[in-house]
Amino acid sequence: MILITINGKKIELDGPVTIFEAARRNGIDIPSLCHHPALELWGGCRMCLVEIEKMPRLQTSCTVKAADGMAVYTETPRVVAARKAMLEFLLINHPLQCPTCDKAGECALQDLTVRYGAVAGRFEEGKRTFPENVDDPVIVRNMERCIMCTRCVRMCDGVQGAFAIGVVGRGAGSHVEPFSGGRYNCEYCGNCLNVCPVGAIMSRLHRYTYRPWQMDKTVKTICSFCGVGCTILLEVRGDAIQKVSPAFGKGVNNGLLCGRGMFGYGYAGSPERLKTPLVRKDGKLVPASWDEALALAARRLLEVKAQHGGRAIAGIAGGRCTNEENYAFQKFMRAGLGSNNIDSTARLGLLHAQDLLEGIFGQGAAANVIRGIPHSDAVLVVACDPTRTNPVMGLQVRAASKAGKKVVAIGHAPGLKRHMTHHLSAAFGHEGIALAGLLRELLRQKKALPGENPEFEAAIMGFSELPSPEEVRRLAGVPEAALTQAAEALKDVSTSSIIAGRELAASMDAKRNFMLLAAIGYVLNSRFFLVSEHPNEQGLIDMGCTPDMLPGGRPLALQTFRERCEHEWGARLDPEPGLTLMEMFEQAGGAIRAMYIMGENPAFNLPGRKKIKEALEKKLDFLVVQDIFLTETASLADVVLPSKAWSEKEGTYTNLEKRIQKLAQATGKNHEAGMEDWRILALIGRLAGLGNMPYASASDIIDEIARVSPLHAGLRYEDLEEDGMMWPYKGKPLRMSGGMQPLPAAKAAATLDRREEDTGQTGPALVIEKPLFHSGSLSRHSGALLDIMGGPEAKMAPGTAAGLGICEGGSVKISTAEGEMVLKAKLEKGLPAGAIFAGNNFGDAGALGLFGYELEPGSKTPVPRAEGLEITPL
Amino acid sequence: MTEPQPFSPKSVALLEEIRKKYPTGRAALMPALYVAQEEFGWLRPEALKAVAEFLGLPEMTVRSTATFYSMYRHRKAGRNVIRLCTNVSCMVLGAGTLKGVLGNVYGLAPGGTSPDGRFSLEVADCIGACGKGPAMIVNDDLHTGLDAKKILEVLENYK
Amino acid sequence: MTSYLLDVARNRNIEEYEKAGGYQGLGKALFMEPGQVVEEVKKSGLRGRGGAGFPTGMKWMFMASDPKSPRYIVCNADEGEPGTFKDKALIDKNPHVLLEGMAIAGHALMAGLGYIYLRAEYPEERGILEAALKEARAKGYLGENVMGSGKKFDIHVHMGAGAYICGEETALIDSLEGKRGQPRLKPPFPVNSGLWGMPTMVNNVETLSNLPFIMREGALRYAGIGDPSCPGNKLFPVSGHVERPGVYELPMGTPLREIIYEHAGGIKNGKALKAVIPGGISAPVLAPDQIDCPMDFVSVQKAGSMLGSGAVMVFDEDTCIVRVALRTLEFFEHESCGKCTPCREGTGWLKAILERIETKQGHGGDIQLLEDVCRNIAGNTFCPLGDGAASAALGFIRHFREEFTEHIRSGCRYHREQGQAQP
Ligand SMILES: Cc1cc2nc3c(=O)[nH]c(=O)nc-3n(C[C@H](O)[C@H](O)[C@H](O)COP(=O)(O)O)c2cc1C
Ligand code: SF4
Ligand code: SF4
Ligand code: SF4
Ligand code: FES
Ligand code: FES
Repeated sequence: MILITINGKKIELDGPVTIFEAARRNGIDIPSLCHHPALELWGGCRMCLVEIEKMPRLQTSCTVKAADGMAVYTETPRVVAARKAMLEFLLINHPLQCPTCDKAGECALQDLTVRYGAVAGRFEEGKRTFPENVDDPVIVRNMERCIMCTRCVRMCDGVQGAFAIGVVGRGAGSHVEPFSGGRYNCEYCGNCLNVCPVGAIMSRLHRYTYRPWQMDKTVKTICSFCGVGCTILLEVRGDAIQKVSPAFGKGVNNGLLCGRGMFGYGYAGSPERLKTPLVRKDGKLVPASWDEALALAARRLLEVKAQHGGRAIAGIAGGRCTNEENYAFQKFMRAGLGSNNIDSTARLGLLHAQDLLEGIFGQGAAANVIRGIPHSDAVLVVACDPTRTNPVMGLQVRAASKAGKKVVAIGHAPGLKRHMTHHLSAAFGHEGIALAGLLRELLRQKKALPGENPEFEAAIMGFSELPSPEEVRRLAGVPEAALTQAAEALKDVSTSSIIAGRELAASMDAKRNFMLLAAIGYVLNSRFFLVSEHPNEQGLIDMGCTPDMLPGGRPLALQTFRERCEHEWGARLDPEPGLTLMEMFEQAGGAIRAMYIMGENPAFNLPGRKKIKEALEKKLDFLVVQDIFLTETASLADVVLPSKAWSEKEGTYTNLEKRIQKLAQATGKNHEAGMEDWRILALIGRLAGLGNMPYASASDIIDEIARVSPLHAGLRYEDLEEDGMMWPYKGKPLRMSGGMQPLPAAKAAATLDRREEDTGQTGPALVIEKPLFHSGSLSRHSGALLDIMGGPEAKMAPGTAAGLGICEGGSVKISTAEGEMVLKAKLEKGLPAGAIFAGNNFGDAGALGLFGYELEPGSKTPVPRAEGLEITPL
Repeated sequence: MTEPQPFSPKSVALLEEIRKKYPTGRAALMPALYVAQEEFGWLRPEALKAVAEFLGLPEMTVRSTATFYSMYRHRKAGRNVIRLCTNVSCMVLGAGTLKGVLGNVYGLAPGGTSPDGRFSLEVADCIGACGKGPAMIVNDDLHTGLDAKKILEVLENYK
Repeated sequence: MTSYLLDVARNRNIEEYEKAGGYQGLGKALFMEPGQVVEEVKKSGLRGRGGAGFPTGMKWMFMASDPKSPRYIVCNADEGEPGTFKDKALIDKNPHVLLEGMAIAGHALMAGLGYIYLRAEYPEERGILEAALKEARAKGYLGENVMGSGKKFDIHVHMGAGAYICGEETALIDSLEGKRGQPRLKPPFPVNSGLWGMPTMVNNVETLSNLPFIMREGALRYAGIGDPSCPGNKLFPVSGHVERPGVYELPMGTPLREIIYEHAGGIKNGKALKAVIPGGISAPVLAPDQIDCPMDFVSVQKAGSMLGSGAVMVFDEDTCIVRVALRTLEFFEHESCGKCTPCREGTGWLKAILERIETKQGHGGDIQLLEDVCRNIAGNTFCPLGDGAASAALGFIRHFREEFTEHIRSGCRYHREQGQAQP
């Protein structure tokens, strides 16, 4: 216990904290400029000086730790004089542009000047000048306003780990720049902007349009881009989002954001938004009234049902829709239309991954707290780059690295280049082999297994023929030393985090991969994290948007659960599971006659695009699509129903930690054009006399979910706390609660297939790149993200390019059995040899279109394949 | 499939030697910058990039460090770099006059390069020769006890 | 008086150095336990020669009690304080005494590696050190097995790149790590968390060069030299208007007058003394009536200045003090690292005010303003550089206020008289 006094007030502290922090906790405000709780200590601005008894000099409270018996004074005349002096120093070179500065109103320097009194203009010479720099699409720099607090640099280096900006020069001439001096070419997380206390670096998106006092409201909500579920603040004026602000101290992200979350909000206000329903007339989509469109949808669905039965209709739910909407969707399909043909893009990997993991460790195996990652002794990243798909989770991996923890990456993870201690550079699709090799080395190097679960350990020890390092090198291209050293680094950790990508599950070897992952997780006492690309991908699973599971992840096959739903929904349920995602398209025109797609774009987001488009366009009798844009899929529909964007509605998202978080309506109050997806479903249901959806709000639906889903029993919308709720786990891991079950036939599955697997030596491989700035359909409508990265490209290592006769900027034709596409080549050092990266983010050049697929037999997960790949320079 | 190496073999050998003296690549940065400066003439962006790549450091880290120190050149320099001390001890012995002489004779202003590209002039802050001031360093050579006549004689040896 | 630092030019060569007793101190140290060597240094009363005069033995004890490893010895050869050229002279004349000192420190503090952070402006000394290192390695004084003791100790030379602040020990460490050389927060101190977070001893060239004598001749003999509160010899580099500028090795506490008038031969051309800076440019100037002050840490501080690097800068009656002050502040503005507000902004402001005074554009209130700005800097900076700038400026005003007033009123008298060029 540390006892100090601040301004005579007695303060007890239970641990060593700075005086600044001690004061803050006790409501005593000490001014600061360079200090920020998310950043490393600095002590440069000297604004936080305080007087401490027995110390002759004033001390910076942000750096000095409170020590027992200290008597601190924060506003003595001497302190006030020093602060005034510091302000005077800062202002001698600060331009007086406050009336035109976008920061005015929330500028720390301005506020402090007001608080301590204006300083007389005793400085006569000319101020330092720097021209405003607008060379970057989203960041404006006004370096003459910079007060050299270095917060931005400490953010970019120490937290974001991007090392994109730095102080240039020395002394009074110092200023902050990116390497080029102009364009940032960085990760565009915007976190630097969010910690700048003055108006020296700001977002261009709201240049001259944002004045804090002119905002109508600030709305706290959840970001709509990925499965991390960051808390953000929307600054709203009129009916438009003017700016996204961070909420430091709140949410899973503690104020940190990524480029999509920070700059990508523009899609909600895009002029390309659907403004009215559309119906197909004479082969063309034309605007229609809501009444007409809804009536048409209801009538046609009823007709198909009458003619072919409910099982002839298939539905695809959306990972960007809320829990309430997805719940309503599967209820509409099951109870209304009588079809279990319900699926989503969770089928592309997350669902299978979760099934396999939960099959071993029990439900909630991957419900772990993202912010706990840096607190484990080691992080193992497998077949994913969390810094790209789930950037703010990626920051936690970087934080682990910064804290000196072991970070081992298996597979391609460029965003962790400077943050991993060990890299097992397995060729694409061969990460499982590296896992097997790693397990073998761990078992060899470790003295004893934990002894917690003898049955499971017996299964682990029973794996036959795990590959030796030499074999791993041969089969997966991982150097032997890297493997043994990684095992060496990991073998003695007491806790660890494992982050796994969906490619591990979208594989013919998925079972083997997850059994190996589970074994390693058991040996290393791990918590699991599954990357998740959509904000509510987890919700899709939890809400029962799968052909064989009811809400709460309860099997449809079990009568008790069926009955529970039947009772609530007032309809009989088909006990037979429905078709999975890819099967729906495969059987279009046959067993499937109509489709209902809510907030998803399968004509773009799935492999086998050619066939899917054909199915949607030619083989179905009827297609309804709900969306906010006229997507590739919507443009093939018979009826298109405009829905609301995430900022326009209430509801909840479940993030990859299984944390349920509330959205808040910020805009769209007067947005007549779109309706909540659940409302559209309820209206059609009512018109068609199908289902029973008497909802007035999202909270009504939550209440019903709580009654139906055992997983959500007792949940109340009103009760969702500040930072959401990990329901029902409340942050406690479940993994050790049930007995761990080795996967059936795991032994056989974990045995490696010894056929000489293709390690990429034989020719180039096409890889879907997941860029940081785009995630698919929405980001294409965000002006800022397009400015940062405007178009598709084929990225490859210079060596790979040379081998193929390709040069920087040249056109490359990529063709496969599925089709062909011409992209501009971009050479980037350090990419794995032989790999050609192309994204699936831009309309006419989505590289998934080059992939066919094969179904993993058990889970029906599509495993993408680029057969007959040919790369030719043009 | 190896990338072209921006450094000459001689520089690479030097850099590898330097790298061995430190436990981290970052610590080898300052000496590596000297090597790059020698090779590229000044620390142009390609030079900084080459150093970053060789040591495995972020480019901005390299630039930020490089711009802190006054011995690294961030502009093209003349063939010979003069560092004339004008700090107090040299100043009171007449270093200010010498600055004027260089201006008149070679058209040199502090921080500038003579029109013929022969000399660049940097004003230095004490070069440890105060006992024999005024003093200057030309390239790596120290010259002391300068006056208006001697400084020109000395500089005549640098072409 | 024994001279053991500079002594004679012949010491440059290792054989000569050995003949004069070189490396015997190291030999003796290696026979002792590391802790005993630390104890011996403590007993000697040696105080750091880098400027602050901190007792070296005590600093060593702090590091000795930290068990982390690897550990490092860093020789501060950044000698950036204008007017100072003693470390340069020492390396020029006697490089082995430094290497031996570092090896002794390495043994005492259980470090296997040392770096000499040499200022960029000393390329010649780099050559001298590299040659001496080669000799010492060849003779087994450095390397894998120092003098057959089984201990490893080697030294690398690291060139600075022109930044005065890198003389400050934590900035030096950051610079050695390849960073911008800005001072670090203390605590933790380098003795606990220095280079790469490991225990690190930063000592000045001259401090380290005292060690061979202490080990060879014993702490007691050393403690008997010069002033008992700060014993040993001190190097005094003398520059400016004196007949015989140069570096003088004299017992600590030698009066300033003796240094100027006896050793350095008095004021050049028989002129009168106007002012003297006793410890490098950061030390406040002293007036002619203060030169009886003994040159040791305590006495110079009592006289209102500081011993600093011991660099004596002498100005004759024809020197314009305003101009000296301006050049001083130009230096500090240029060398401020930019980390903290008062130094980054304040030094430039002081310079701007002095510039207008010097160019006859000053006005009433400017002296007051100078003092105000100085007071706002002093005591509020992150490291002593900013403080030094303020106290140096205040020193000039304290002793030469009239000259400033006169400048404001009627411009520079010396300027008019001698037609001197603008600074
Ligand atoms: C601005 C500044 C510059 C300094 N420059 C030097 C220097 O050039 N050489 C030096 O030895 N010490 C210098 N010091 C002192 C060092 O910080 C440190 O105290 C010294 O190297 C310790 O060595 P010592 O204990 O042997 O004196 C400087 C300190 C400051 C604040
Ligand atoms: S936007 Fe992010 S990555 Fe870019 S400079 Fe700022 S902090 Fe660094
Ligand atoms: S740009 Fe802003 S955050 Fe960065 S140093 Fe300047 S004032 Fe601080
Ligand atoms: S006083 Fe401040 S700005 Fe000046 S050198 Fe020290 S830390 Fe840097
Ligand atoms: S807030 Fe403490 S020094 Fe800047
Ligand atoms: S002042 Fe010129 S060399 Fe020292």
